[in-house]
Amino acid sequence: MTDDAKALARGLQRRDPELLDRLIEQYQFRLFRYLLHLTASHERAEDFFQETWLRVLERGHQYDGKWKFEAWLFAIARNLVLDWHRRKKPQSLDSLAGPEEDATFDVKDEHSESPLEQVLHAEQTSGVQQSLEKVPAIYREVLVLRFQEEMQLDEIAGVTGTPISTVKSRLYRGLDAMKNAMQRGAV
Amino acid sequence: MSNDLHDRAKEFIARRHVEALTPADQRWLNDHLADCESCATEQHQLRESLSAFRTMHIDLPRNLASRTQLRVRMRAEELREHSPVNRLIWAVAAMSWMFGLATAPLVWRGFAWLGSELHLPKPVWISGVVLWWAVPALVATGIILFGHKGHAGASE
Repeated sequence: MTDDAKALARGLQRRDPELLDRLIEQYQFRLFRYLLHLTASHERAEDFFQETWLRVLERGHQYDGKWKFEAWLFAIARNLVLDWHRRKKPQSLDSLAGPEEDATFDVKDEHSESPLEQVLHAEQTSGVQQSLEKVPAIYREVLVLRFQEEMQLDEIAGVTGTPISTVKSRLYRGLDAMKNAMQRGAV
Repeated sequence: MSNDLHDRAKEFIARRHVEALTPADQRWLNDHLADCESCATEQHQLRESLSAFRTMHIDLPRNLASRTQLRVRMRAEELREHSPVNRLIWAVAAMSWMFGLATAPLVWRGFAWLGSELHLPKPVWISGVVLWWAVPALVATGIILFGHKGHAGASE
C-alpha cells in the first residue's frame, strides 16, 4: 500500500472533513458521469451522488487502501443504484439489458449555461447521448469504466463484482452496441 | 478474401481496445487493414465512436460539490454526537453509578465514622457522601460538554 493510500485510509477512518471536502471536489465530475451513465437520469444521478458521499463518510473505516480509491467509490455508488433498482423491482442491473422507456439521457442542466452555449453543446453531444440511450445500462457501465475512467479489467471486475471474463464479454458487446447505435444515429 | 479473415480482423479490432494483441496478431491486423477497405472502415467507425464517447460533454448540476459537502458535514456532526466515545462515557457512568449503589452502605458507614472521628456535624459528612456519588456523573458531564465545545469550535 502506498503512503498516499495509507493517509487516505487514515483520513477516512477519522472522518476528516477537510479530506472529504477535497475528495468530493476532486471526484465530482467522474462520479457524476458514472452515475449518469448508470441511471440515465440527471436527478437520480444527483441523488445517488450525495448518497454515495454520505456512505463514504459512514463506511470510510472499511477502506483499506488495497484498491484504488475511485474503484472503491464507484463500487459504493453502484451498490446504491443496485439497491434502488431492487427496491423498485426485484432485479439487478443485469436486467437492464434493454433500454428502459424512461431511461432518457437527461444530461443538460438548463440553468448552468447561456442559451448560445446550450445550443452549441446540444449540437455537439445530443447525437452521442441519443445513441447511448440505445446501449443497455449494463454495457454502458463497463464502457464508462474502461474508456472514460481508463480502469484496468481487474479493477472493473472489482467495481462490478463480476469475473474478468464477464467484464470482457460485456465490453465486446458494449463496443458493438455502441458502434451500431452511433452508426444508426449518424444516418 | 474469405469471410473468416474479415471476422478475425473485426475480432482483433475490438480486442485491441479491450485486451492487448500479441505483436504477431497486431502485425497481421495491420497488413489486413492495409488491404481491406471494409475492415479499415470498421476500425475507423469504432475509433470515431470511442472518441465521441470519451469526449462526451456532461454538465454538472449547479453547486453539486458544495451542496454535497454541506450534507456530508451535517451528517458527520450527527455521527459525532452518536459516536462510540459518547457511548463509552455513558457506559462508564452507568457502571460507576451501579458500583456506587452497591457500595452505598459501606460508603455511608465510612463517612459516618470519619464524621464522628473528626467531630463534624451530620449535614457536613452527608454532603460528603452526596459529593462522592456525584463525582462520576460530574466528570462524564464535563467530558461531554467539553467534547461538544471542541466540535463546535472545529466546525466554525
